[in-house]
Amino acid sequence: MKKWLVIALIVSMMASLLTGCSQPAPAAAPAEPAAAPTAAAEQKEYRVAYIARAQADSFAAWLANAVKEEAAKYDNIKLDVFDGQANDDTENGLIENAITNKYDVIIVQPNNGEAQRPYVEKAVAAGIKVITTNARISGIPGSSSVDADPYMQAKVNCDLAVSQVPQNAKVVVLMGPPGNFHADARRESWKKEFFEKRPDVKIVGEEIANWNKDEAMNYMETWVQANDKIDAIIAMNDNMAAGALEVIKDNPKFKNTLAYGVDGTAEACLLIEKGLMTSTSLQSAYDLATSLLDTTNKLVTGAEKEINMDIDCPLITKDNVQKYIEMHKKAGAIQ
Amino acid sequence: MSKVNKQSLWTSIKSKYSIYFVLIVLFLVCWLANENFVSVENIKNISTQISVGTILAFGQTILIISGMLDLSSASVLALAGVLSVSVYKMTGSLLLAFVAAILVGVICNILNGLMVTRFKTPPFIATLAMMTIARGAALMYTNGQNIYQIGAYIKFGQGRILGMPTPVIFMVTLLVLTWYLLRHTVFGRSIYAIGGNEEAANASGINVNRIKMQAFIINGIFVGIAGVLFMSRVNGGMPNGAVGYEFKALTAAVIGGTSFSGGIGTASGTLAGAFIVGFLDNIMVLVGVNSYLQQIVRGAIIALAVIYDIWAKTKRTKRKLGSAEAK
Repeated sequence: MKKWLVIALIVSMMASLLTGCSQPAPAAAPAEPAAAPTAAAEQKEYRVAYIARAQADSFAAWLANAVKEEAAKYDNIKLDVFDGQANDDTENGLIENAITNKYDVIIVQPNNGEAQRPYVEKAVAAGIKVITTNARISGIPGSSSVDADPYMQAKVNCDLAVSQVPQNAKVVVLMGPPGNFHADARRESWKKEFFEKRPDVKIVGEEIANWNKDEAMNYMETWVQANDKIDAIIAMNDNMAAGALEVIKDNPKFKNTLAYGVDGTAEACLLIEKGLMTSTSLQSAYDLATSLLDTTNKLVTGAEKEINMDIDCPLITKDNVQKYIEMHKKAGAIQ
Repeated sequence: MSKVNKQSLWTSIKSKYSIYFVLIVLFLVCWLANENFVSVENIKNISTQISVGTILAFGQTILIISGMLDLSSASVLALAGVLSVSVYKMTGSLLLAFVAAILVGVICNILNGLMVTRFKTPPFIATLAMMTIARGAALMYTNGQNIYQIGAYIKFGQGRILGMPTPVIFMVTLLVLTWYLLRHTVFGRSIYAIGGNEEAANASGINVNRIKMQAFIINGIFVGIAGVLFMSRVNGGMPNGAVGYEFKALTAAVIGGTSFSGGIGTASGTLAGAFIVGFLDNIMVLVGVNSYLQQIVRGAIIALAVIYDIWAKTKRTKRKLGSAEAK
């Protein structure tokens, strides 16, 4: 009996202590107007399905995280994120599920635009607002899109390279996965905006490194054996440019090698700061996320019926890299 | 020595070492195809490039000989690698980071081993499950993002000792270790016995489950080391790195003569298999073969190498059977 009494006493003391501790909280909390919860309850909440291409893809993961952060700023939007696992079947199934679950908005980051097209059309036909992003699926009336133009992303680098790359230069090219919209459009841009304007430049190696740093490293290690001089590394993304630079960073023979990429990743910004990489163009997941949620809000509130827009793709060079390093530091990608 | 005996000795050598003949022929062809192929630096490069996959392949060789395999090795490599990088960034200790990678590799492989030995799950399914779990864990831990600014961690994969790249030193050390384990220990003999006939091995007093678990643990150590080398080589913690490396490892082991039906295989054969793929990849880039054509050529030459190896071995078996019948 005594034992139970002691336990009861301890529990009541703990309870009073906890109550005491929690007392200042309401006072410390910002004085929310009493009407706010009521207003929020009255405001309609829209359900948004964000179907990511693949959470294992570092850019797609960055975009998904940025979209989640941005959605948290909207009281009227409830976001659910789904992973397409880089598989057309999985992604199409997720779009179908979102239609069945009557989401107000579906945002699709396609794995392969043409494979997802009929499913996006089906969602639009079901009266759901659909936004396609990175890359857009164009030509579907009633759907909206937010994207960055891959041709322009490469072009801003080409414009710089046309004047920077020395006469009769030897260059290597690292390509993304064949058939990928962004990989193909960026390569096309380099062809038209650089190689056709600079017929003196010779490609001494061109390989598909599938956006991967380790594959790019392997190719560069071999090219370095076969060429005494490589004047420029032309990569369709920053990851591959960083891989190639990893091979030559301590080799004095290649200390003047130029390197171009796309994406504006934290690693690329650090390489530009060090003077190892020449330039990249930013494909900002934050900008995409901001525009995606803004577009979502405008569509659900009826402010607009259809929006198709591109975000900017600013060129990052040594002159302005600090700004972007700060951006990545704020996001916690680098210290 | 009579002419017949000489011929029989030559056929025996040819069939026993057929995969090394393939490797030598390929080496000579590559030498003729491009003058840059045979240079000390290029051979070092090829050796470095194949090192991570070959270390995984040594683990696979042990498992395949005992009638198992590991589909999770690349995913566990990624998990071990990112956690190791993370430990280094938190503590600044290379030793702790190295130990952490090995621990993660071993823990994941103990789980693989438990699924196989305790719950009798087929190794294909058990390691397939671990493949998804480990990759998911690596992505979850890093939120899908790469870890940058890894500082001195790159010494593991980008350093050189007496001019030799560190990944190659690791590869050679683990080659010797695998060779020793397979050829000169009770564990090695048990592995071959289990792969050859598990029931017979059990009946002869071999603790099959214990040996299988040991095989997974050794594989885990190799995977952990491969994780450290990979992340260090790419100068970052990459949760989505090394995708497909489990197949690179399986390819090297199988080209090197390790039989999927168990009981057959050697560490040196696996190394030869890895070099065959490494030479091919290297020469095709040096010569500038079209990227799409490279995949066709790679597939065709791998198939031819294995067909020749099997043909040479079958011929030897037939000859042995023939001489036995004659007696």
